[in-house]
Amino acid sequence: MNYRKGRYEVTVLIGRKIKKVYGKKSTAQEVLKGIDVEVNRGEFVGIMGPSGSGKTTLLNVLCSIDFATEGVIEINGHSLRGMKEKALANFRREQLGFIFQDYNLLDTLTVKENILLPLAISKLPKAVAESRVKELTSLLGITEILNKYPNEISGGQKQRTSAARALITNPSLVFADEPTGALDSKSATALLQNLQNINETKEATIMMVTHDAVAASFCTRVLFLKDGLIYSELYKGDKTRQAFFKEIMHTQSVLGGDGYES
Amino acid sequence: MSLSKLVLRSMKKNMKHYYLYFFALIFSVTLYFSFVTLQNNTEVWAAVQMSGTATAGFKAATYILYFIVLFFVLYANHLFMKRRSKEIGLYQLIGMTKGLIVRLLAVENILLFVGAVIIGMLAGFFSSRVFAMILLRVLEKEALVTMTFSTQALMQSMIVFTILLIIVLIQMAWMIHHVSLLSLFSAAKQADERVRRFSAFQMVIGFLGLILIVYGYYASTKLFDIESAGNLFINMIIILATTIGGTFLVFRFSVAFIMNTIRLKKKGHLSIKDVLALTPIMHRMKSNAKSLTLITVLTGVSLGVTTLSYIAYYSSEASAYSQVPGDFILLEEQGEEFLEKLEENNIAYDKIDYRLQGVTAAVGQLMSKKQQDNPLYTMEGTIYTIPLSDYQQSVPEAKLSGNEVILTNYGGYMAEMFPLEKDHDLIVSAGELEETFHVVDIHDKSVISGIVTAGGGGPIFVVTDDMFKSLTTQAALYPWHHQTTITLKSNEDIATAEKLYIQSNAGIITAVDDKGQTKQYTQSSYEGKRKDNIESLGLTIFTTAFLGLAFLMTTGSILYFKQMSEAEEERDSYTILRKIGFAEKDIMKGIYMKQAFNFGVPLVIGLLHSYFAVKSGWFLFGTELTAPLWIAMCCYIALYTIFAILSVGYYKKVVRQSL
Repeated sequence: MNYRKGRYEVTVLIGRKIKKVYGKKSTAQEVLKGIDVEVNRGEFVGIMGPSGSGKTTLLNVLCSIDFATEGVIEINGHSLRGMKEKALANFRREQLGFIFQDYNLLDTLTVKENILLPLAISKLPKAVAESRVKELTSLLGITEILNKYPNEISGGQKQRTSAARALITNPSLVFADEPTGALDSKSATALLQNLQNINETKEATIMMVTHDAVAASFCTRVLFLKDGLIYSELYKGDKTRQAFFKEIMHTQSVLGGDGYES
Repeated sequence: MSLSKLVLRSMKKNMKHYYLYFFALIFSVTLYFSFVTLQNNTEVWAAVQMSGTATAGFKAATYILYFIVLFFVLYANHLFMKRRSKEIGLYQLIGMTKGLIVRLLAVENILLFVGAVIIGMLAGFFSSRVFAMILLRVLEKEALVTMTFSTQALMQSMIVFTILLIIVLIQMAWMIHHVSLLSLFSAAKQADERVRRFSAFQMVIGFLGLILIVYGYYASTKLFDIESAGNLFINMIIILATTIGGTFLVFRFSVAFIMNTIRLKKKGHLSIKDVLALTPIMHRMKSNAKSLTLITVLTGVSLGVTTLSYIAYYSSEASAYSQVPGDFILLEEQGEEFLEKLEENNIAYDKIDYRLQGVTAAVGQLMSKKQQDNPLYTMEGTIYTIPLSDYQQSVPEAKLSGNEVILTNYGGYMAEMFPLEKDHDLIVSAGELEETFHVVDIHDKSVISGIVTAGGGGPIFVVTDDMFKSLTTQAALYPWHHQTTITLKSNEDIATAEKLYIQSNAGIITAVDDKGQTKQYTQSSYEGKRKDNIESLGLTIFTTAFLGLAFLMTTGSILYFKQMSEAEEERDSYTILRKIGFAEKDIMKGIYMKQAFNFGVPLVIGLLHSYFAVKSGWFLFGTELTAPLWIAMCCYIALYTIFAILSVGYYKKVVRQSL
């Protein structure tokens, strides 16, 4: 699959020696102990690890929702350090997309309004936005429910709405935090196939935290975290998903912990 | 863990929520206690020397105040309980009986009440002194009051707040007992039921609400028209029903409908303001309609009452002036002694002489055509004329020729209820003389004493000097012939002049009427009249202003409390928005809009309500509408703005903490 190599050439995210310490000096707890990470364009990266290993903290720090205590984070050549609150917010809105475990949709807005939410203060022409909604919703299979409210649709539909919202701005990088955590296995598989599909066809770069080996097997690369450090890294390469899944399971058992914590 | 420990722990944990409730309680106790202390302070009342009815009014105000407090505390408690529904549900879930939870919360409530009553009474004791000072200031009495701690006030407040506590406990027990575990958990969610599809029916009802309000306003402008005077009471009921009902329908249907229409037009492309203001308001309208209506109506009523009494108080000067248009008025060239005394004391003054001559006329002929079946239309009465040259001393630009006349001195509620029109002809008689006057202009400038016109603001004709001369042939038929208006050059002399006026008995005036009988009149000075007015109205304005303030603080606080809990409920939304990349500033833009709506709309509708209420009958209370209305309205707007700013501040905190 030589044609794919080209898409990996551009580095979207660079993290160097990322440290995160919670609490004051006396009770300080180091959650991230110096992590180096790089993500190239078009990658679908999974982050796994037992609870307490710092998965979500790493994601929050990388996506600028939380601040790193030490280290350098660059996304698309922009360093997050030193950016003001307002600039960071703009950066998140324009460059990043988010999918959360509990969907994080606004109850008072319809599906369509939720999807268009990140464009609420952008100058993007309506026609462009409209065509993006059309493309994304048909990719995700939620065209029928555009005028419904979140409380009228299923969990799987909510998560796909959330995915559409994450992608509406054509972000450089999509962060997904346990996106399948609240879904049944059928909806979860459907969503992951959607994400994989979008990753392949639209060359979207996705970074996903998960504790589920099945979910991770949809990725192109999986990072394993343990005690705030990267423990190992697996590439899918040309393996089948099943083979990759087995490999992940194996690494997880070596890592210790059952890997099925919530 | 013992019950007392649990109570203390949960109180500690809930300090943030309690703070709101605690403040509401302290505030209520403070208002009530200071009012009752004031009521029981004999020194103040000795200084005020009020009539029985005024004190009775003051007492009645205590009851109204109590109901405001009752309503306020019950509402705050209700809101507070709703916010704690999860905690209560959790207690039940871990196996506490409802009885135990009731006891737990009862102990908390009693502790809170005792604390609030003690703090509130202390604050109330000190604030009562401030209120006493304000009262004396309003009455223009100079007395130094020492506030004594009134045991009677203490007893009264204790009893009243014990009763309130019992009511609150009953409300709380009722809420806990009548709510199932499941709904306790979702109480917060229940409030914002989804408004989805809007049927034509809802649209029609919303529109009906608007029509009702407009009709009510229209009817209020016609309230005191002569045609409908017979059904005054029924009309008032109709106006109240249409405006209040209309307000509710507007809040319940129109607002959401209009907002949904705007929103549908955007076809999903909402701006950040729409997301944060339009859609949450729209979805909350169903549950907020009742309380917003109540707040709006309360605002309207309290502002209306405050404005009316303020009009009366404010007009005390104007109405004194319409009775006594000048610092001192001397009639029939009596009171020369007073003028001599003024000169002896080197008090400089201006003096204008008016010659007076009565005529008999039916002034109703100047009314508009449609009022011609009014009984007043043909009713004859004595009206005085003054020559143009005298009038020109105060209105130099006045001009007349032939049988032209200017109708002047016409103001007050007479002018409001029976508007007269110029460019009409009018037949007047004086003895055998008969003349046709052509009214070229109508002025409301006060020139002639209320004694002459038989009540302040009665009409006076200004006629040409020739006309006046021919009319004076009938001088003997009418009692008044001469008025001298004295205006002091310096206001500093008023007190001295006032003394001289009383010493010289210049106010006692005798006049001879057409039957040759001598009558005695008392012409008070302007300052004397004004003080009379102030004394009779001061207590009323004080009482209504106090109640108005209580109402205002109550409605404002309730709006603020509501916004506090809305902010808490929407915290998650702010978290989402901030995560996906909206800055605090972007979110606050929407919040400003939302607060402008939440405080602005009840305020604006309330202002409109009170404007039309006041407009319909203000002239019965005084002579000046615009200034008191604006001042009262501005006070309300200012205080609401403060509440809105407070609530924006709270939102800011919530938004900041949300990420």
